[in-house]
Amino acid sequence: MVQPTRLFIISLCMILSCIALAGSASAAVEVYNSSIEMGNGYQINNYVIDVTDVFVSANSASFYVYEQNKEVKNILLNTGDFFEFDFEGRGKVKVTLRTVSSGIIPRAGVSIVLSNYNYQSLYKNDIVNGGHEFATYSGTPELRMSKTIDKSEIGVGDIVRVTVTVENVGDDKAVDVIFQDPQQARFLLYETFVTHSGQTTVDVGESKTLYVYQLKATEAGTYTLSPTTASFSNTAGQKFPLASSNSPVVTVGASEDLVNAELEVTTILDRYAVSRNEDIQGTIRIKNTGDAPATGVTVSVQVPDGMELIGSSDIETISGVPTIYLESFGVQQEREFSFTLKPQEVGTYTLSVQNSYRFNNGVDAQLQQVSSSSVTENIYVSKGKYDYLFEQPIYVYLVPLLIIGLIAGWIYYRHKQYKF
Amino acid sequence: MLNILIVGNGQCGNRILDAINRESFGKKSRFAKYLSQQKYKSNVQTIAINTAVNDLKEMKFTKAKDRIHIPHLHGVGANRNVGKHVFEDNKTHIMRQIEERGDFDVCFVITSASGGTGSSFTPMLIKEMKSKYDYPVYSIVVLPFREEGTLYLQNAAFCLRDIRESGSDGIILADNQFLKQMGGNVESAYNGINDMIARRILFLLDALDSEMMMVTDLGDFKTVMNGGAGLATIGFYEAGADIPVRSAIQKALSPSGLLFSSDVYEEASRAMIIIRGDRERLSIDEISTEVEKLSSAVGHVFKGIIVRDGELPQVLAVLTLESASELENLYSVAVDAIKHERDKKERVSTIKEVDKAFSQIDGMDPSY
Repeated sequence: MVQPTRLFIISLCMILSCIALAGSASAAVEVYNSSIEMGNGYQINNYVIDVTDVFVSANSASFYVYEQNKEVKNILLNTGDFFEFDFEGRGKVKVTLRTVSSGIIPRAGVSIVLSNYNYQSLYKNDIVNGGHEFATYSGTPELRMSKTIDKSEIGVGDIVRVTVTVENVGDDKAVDVIFQDPQQARFLLYETFVTHSGQTTVDVGESKTLYVYQLKATEAGTYTLSPTTASFSNTAGQKFPLASSNSPVVTVGASEDLVNAELEVTTILDRYAVSRNEDIQGTIRIKNTGDAPATGVTVSVQVPDGMELIGSSDIETISGVPTIYLESFGVQQEREFSFTLKPQEVGTYTLSVQNSYRFNNGVDAQLQQVSSSSVTENIYVSKGKYDYLFEQPIYVYLVPLLIIGLIAGWIYYRHKQYKF
Repeated sequence: MLNILIVGNGQCGNRILDAINRESFGKKSRFAKYLSQQKYKSNVQTIAINTAVNDLKEMKFTKAKDRIHIPHLHGVGANRNVGKHVFEDNKTHIMRQIEERGDFDVCFVITSASGGTGSSFTPMLIKEMKSKYDYPVYSIVVLPFREEGTLYLQNAAFCLRDIRESGSDGIILADNQFLKQMGGNVESAYNGINDMIARRILFLLDALDSEMMMVTDLGDFKTVMNGGAGLATIGFYEAGADIPVRSAIQKALSPSGLLFSSDVYEEASRAMIIIRGDRERLSIDEISTEVEKLSSAVGHVFKGIIVRDGELPQVLAVLTLESASELENLYSVAVDAIKHERDKKERVSTIKEVDKAFSQIDGMDPSY
């Protein structure tokens, strides 16, 4: 819950901010205070105040106000008088004739004050020689961008052609135009026919083809292509918001050309509860259920401490890890590798089998790498039938062995004595 | 402690020697050699000599180093002449083997009189030993079954004579013919005879080197063996629990207790009786009565008593003979055998019946 004191401070800040903003917008700014030759004008943005006549003898001058060559006001002022006209909505322009003076060309001293307007928005503020006919007006360029595709439903691996065009449907030339066409996820840029880079201009009514390229779908799904954007300004240097193209939708279905190798690696043990030193017969079964052959198939068996794996000739020990390596493994091929596990210590163990392989999916240039692992159920190793024998003190065995050895030695000695 | 050498010559001598070695382990088990040591009281060395390697291989209780193979095919085939040549050729090797075993107080040479190697080697061996050593050498000679064949009878006759002439200090006779009363099959009979002889010899060796209540020693044995005609036999009896020592002595001296059939009261010249057993069972009166009875018949009788607690009475009698009617019977049979062999050889060499048969096809060829 917000505390009352904090709420008051926040409200106060907001009110002060509004007052400050209102103050800056409503403040009057004198944009010009000098003389203008008869026949010239003064341009404020798209408005031109022409001084059409100066009557020195009558201490008066006539003014015409144009908005983009369209007359919005005319008036004859005596010195000291003024007139006002609306400016771009709420703004007001106050023109006061201060003096008139003679010369080769008579001049009128004027003061132009702009009020109720954000001065920061003023982009043109200067004398126009020759009056409004020679003024340069600024317009609003409008870039209409279009992104089209030649087909909206394709398969994985198929190609779609993308064309991006732009047309300036505004009333001013677009300058400093920079187009951006982002890369498309799940697609590969297959081939480019038309591209564009750097800054450019688009005249009013001009239409351009910006990009033409082909994309290759790599994954099934429905995808919305990212829009192409353009940043631009009008001839007066005004920046406009980014123009965006449409976002066409492409549905990528599973292609019949895409193939996979899918190896099922199954580890089967003949029993999971054994006594120490009893053999466990194990089988690793590898089957390719996919529709592409696999290469570089590696199946490594992580034998836990306390167990020993006695493999067959097909299971090599690489860096201390029993490993099956198959250079290639065909579609629907199935092989079994037998091994023997000999638990040497009492305990609970699992056997971890890790496998990896590569395959060509028929689409991508590079091989696909697949890795997975599996773990067997717990293997429970209990004491062996004769383990208690090993728990006896050493002399229990040495003494009988010594006696047996002596007897055997004696018998052998006597046998040799009597053997003819 | 006496140093005694026992030599077993030929198959029979080897087997008896092996039986002695087996009995010396004190157990009948074939694994006795692995489980125990030989229980000789004396320092007993044994040597088995044979030309047949298979006979030596059959021995189980005699150490390999004590088995001396004299290579000559697989035996001499009961031919004493061949055997003598083989001995002569290997005499140095055999004598070296005996020499290597050191000096002895007495030697026994065991042999069959009828075989090839034993009957031919023994006289020559004894002769060699007597020429080299001054200790007495006694031979223990096993006589053949009378029905064993003419060659064996012939060999026995000549062997005995050769041994007597070799310088042997005495011949202890053991007669298979007499001992076959033990019955059983041939193998068990032979094994039984061998065991019987072995036990007697072991008893004798034990007696010669034992602490005795009444002493007999090697000197007494020599004196006994010097008596008579140089021939001797051994009587033995092991009494049961209910048999008094007097009966045991009588049975040891009876023909059934002797190795060679003899009427000791008629044919014996000197005797040595050794009685072993528990003190309680050895009645001096009974022993004296029987010994006096024997000495009144044969002259001098050496008497020894070995006290062994808990043992039943056992009696061993060594008797030298003045005469041996059974030996005369053997020689009369042997003479017939010699004549039969000689006649057969002459007949074969002169008539050549087989040549006659072959002569019937002279000048003919086979037709096919």
